[in-house]
Amino acid sequence: MRKELQDWALRLRERAEAEELSFPPVLFEEVGPEEMAMLAAYGGFPRRYPHWRFGSEYLRHREVYRYGLGRIYELVVNTAPVHAYLLKGNTLLAQKLVIAHVYAHADFFQNNLAFRPTPKDMLEEMAHHAAFVERAMEKHGARSVEEFLDMALSLENLIDPHTPYIQRPREVEEKPESPRLKVRPYLDPYVNPPPEPPKEAEEGASLKPLPPRPTRDILGFLAQYAPLAPWQRGILEIIREESLYYAPQAATKILNEGWATYWHTRLLLPLLSPEEALEFAELQAGLLAPHGFNPYRLGYLLLKEVEERWDKGRYGPEYEALPLGERLRYERPTGEGRRKLFQVRTVHTDISFLEEFLTPEFALRQRLIAPEDLPRFQGAKRALLFRLTNMGYPIVELVDANYGNRGELYLEHLYEGVELDQRKTKAVLQNLHRLWGRPVHLKTVANGKETLLSAGA
Amino acid sequence: MRPVERDLLRFKEIVRGEVKKRAREFLTREELLGQMEGRVVSIPLPQLEVPKIVYGEPWGEGLLGGGPGAEGLGPGGHIPVAELELEEFLDLMGEALKLPRLRPKGEGEVTEEAFRHTTIARKGPRGLRHVRRTLKESLKRSLFSGEYREEDPRLVPEREDLRYKAPKAKPRPHAQAVVLFALDVSGSMREEELSLVRTLSFWITLWIRRHFPRLERRYLLHDAEAWEVSEEEFFKAREGGGTRLSSALLLAEEILKAYPEAFYNRYLYHFSDGENWHGDTPVALEALGRLLPSLALYGYAQVQGPYGQGRFLEEVEEALGEREELAAVEVRGREDLALALRRLLGG
Repeated sequence: MRKELQDWALRLRERAEAEELSFPPVLFEEVGPEEMAMLAAYGGFPRRYPHWRFGSEYLRHREVYRYGLGRIYELVVNTAPVHAYLLKGNTLLAQKLVIAHVYAHADFFQNNLAFRPTPKDMLEEMAHHAAFVERAMEKHGARSVEEFLDMALSLENLIDPHTPYIQRPREVEEKPESPRLKVRPYLDPYVNPPPEPPKEAEEGASLKPLPPRPTRDILGFLAQYAPLAPWQRGILEIIREESLYYAPQAATKILNEGWATYWHTRLLLPLLSPEEALEFAELQAGLLAPHGFNPYRLGYLLLKEVEERWDKGRYGPEYEALPLGERLRYERPTGEGRRKLFQVRTVHTDISFLEEFLTPEFALRQRLIAPEDLPRFQGAKRALLFRLTNMGYPIVELVDANYGNRGELYLEHLYEGVELDQRKTKAVLQNLHRLWGRPVHLKTVANGKETLLSAGA
Repeated sequence: MRPVERDLLRFKEIVRGEVKKRAREFLTREELLGQMEGRVVSIPLPQLEVPKIVYGEPWGEGLLGGGPGAEGLGPGGHIPVAELELEEFLDLMGEALKLPRLRPKGEGEVTEEAFRHTTIARKGPRGLRHVRRTLKESLKRSLFSGEYREEDPRLVPEREDLRYKAPKAKPRPHAQAVVLFALDVSGSMREEELSLVRTLSFWITLWIRRHFPRLERRYLLHDAEAWEVSEEEFFKAREGGGTRLSSALLLAEEILKAYPEAFYNRYLYHFSDGENWHGDTPVALEALGRLLPSLALYGYAQVQGPYGQGRFLEEVEEALGEREELAAVEVRGREDLALALRRLLGG
């Protein structure tokens, strides 16, 4: 990177650390638009397993840039050290802004609890995954592996994003005969090959229902129990692992972008020359434009609100007891704002963040809602929270893996008032059926009626 | 090759395969018919999307307008579309439908001047500076003026030494074509038949233009008389009186005089239900006999109307079936389109 930028990176880093942001080293790299499009398609990594949908994404990013419909200023990857890519050709001010923005993201990755279980060595992991899939293609044919990937990717959202936190006592295993070596899940069938399959009689005698309780970790279940070749299991594990890696990012988009915007503003404003101030204002206006749903804007405004409220003591039972009109005027200076912000950054995800701080006062002050529409506020807020739930995907649980005592899969959609896309859902069920080898059912609501969608039955 | 280029190639390969697989379906897709003026064709390909279990209802307006979703948070609402260059799209369709390549006959008119940077000029943009020639001039000058010293052979070009690559116009012959569509509107063509005609003439135009970038189009209607119309007017449903197929052929002959055979590949397409006035068929055949040798193709498509079938197809094949400029075909419905198109293009 240019010397000038290196110096700014250092200077901004010192400022950030003085403000008590904490983050691992950040490796900046300036890249051209083509490479940026590639990195964006690959979710921030220089290497992913071969698949056409990356090509399709790459094409889309390239076209968007070429036709001037948008540009990716920056990409930050949650690894240690953090990798950050800056778009070549940005003005110096834009790069400074982006650098400050990146430091805040790095701080968020390191300190927000949702990211606690994510591995920090994904750069190597992704490369291993790529190598694994490429080897499988060499051995079993590119087309058959691609076909399996297509099938498996259609299940990539069928994970339990909370899996990494859950510490259930494992069911007591029937005496482990050989010591198991701990390795990455996709390598497990190779390092710790499963014992001889149980005899049919024993299988029948086993009373343990599969799964023992409803699970959202359908990918994990399939990787463990579906009748698959080891390389196919490996691919399911890879997709699951990558999905779990990205899940916290989707769950904290608003908070994370708000946080980064708050800090680039705060770190940079005092350093601006008068000429730069105008350019900064333009960039900022673009970033915070109120067009449609803008996570930067919402996150930023809400964090500012939190800071102000806690600085002015607008919290606690006394405040809560006030009617709306008086709340807006209440003041009890405490200077707690900064401390509260750091707490919010640490413990919240988008849902809990909005649930707690997206208040009618805020909506009124920011003109998100007109006073006469206030009765609609709670409903609209609930709708927004619903859309953020489970990263915007419907929640589907695997309830029974021996449905009708025929070894069929029985899934349930936790219906909350919004129906599924029937065409796509059926296509996914077909894929599930092909993977599982036996019929697959999904209980949901279609056209207002409780319905059982089936594939292979 | 970077891995992502490999993924991109594979994606394009899949798109191409999909287009070829669904060529017959694309033939009649209305949304494709409209957009061929641009350079890029957008093809809706929901098959090319990894399906997922997602909500089906569009997310309505809430607080803050819209809501997350469109912005990479979970499923968005966009229809998966693949974009192809028009030329590539046509080639794939051509391959899938086995459309014949059209061969330009004759050199065509000198119409285009191709610019090549083949000469040298004293003025020009920086980017086109010709370094070797500039230094040569500089060397000449310093030798002449005695500034050149062997022990320090440095050359410093001055303004007068600068030389630039310059364009030179080079005329290039360019094959061109004219296509004339004639439509029988004698009362028996309904919206359904008209839509077949529209689809056929649309693809015929595209395919001819694929081979002759300089293509002129003329349209005429006829019942007992023939008259020229605009493209837009051509495709409007209307009713007329009786039929004289010869009227169209005679008017076509007139119009085509403006496009001399030596310079133009001349295509004439004629759509009718084939019910001609009894005494007119010999006149029509005679006119056709005169026209055929000067045409690249005479395509006659007999569209089956609601009142049965005329006889002109048989008559024209009987009289002129041996001529290779004749491409006659019967179109009974949509399922005939692919074959009809191939035939009408001489395949």
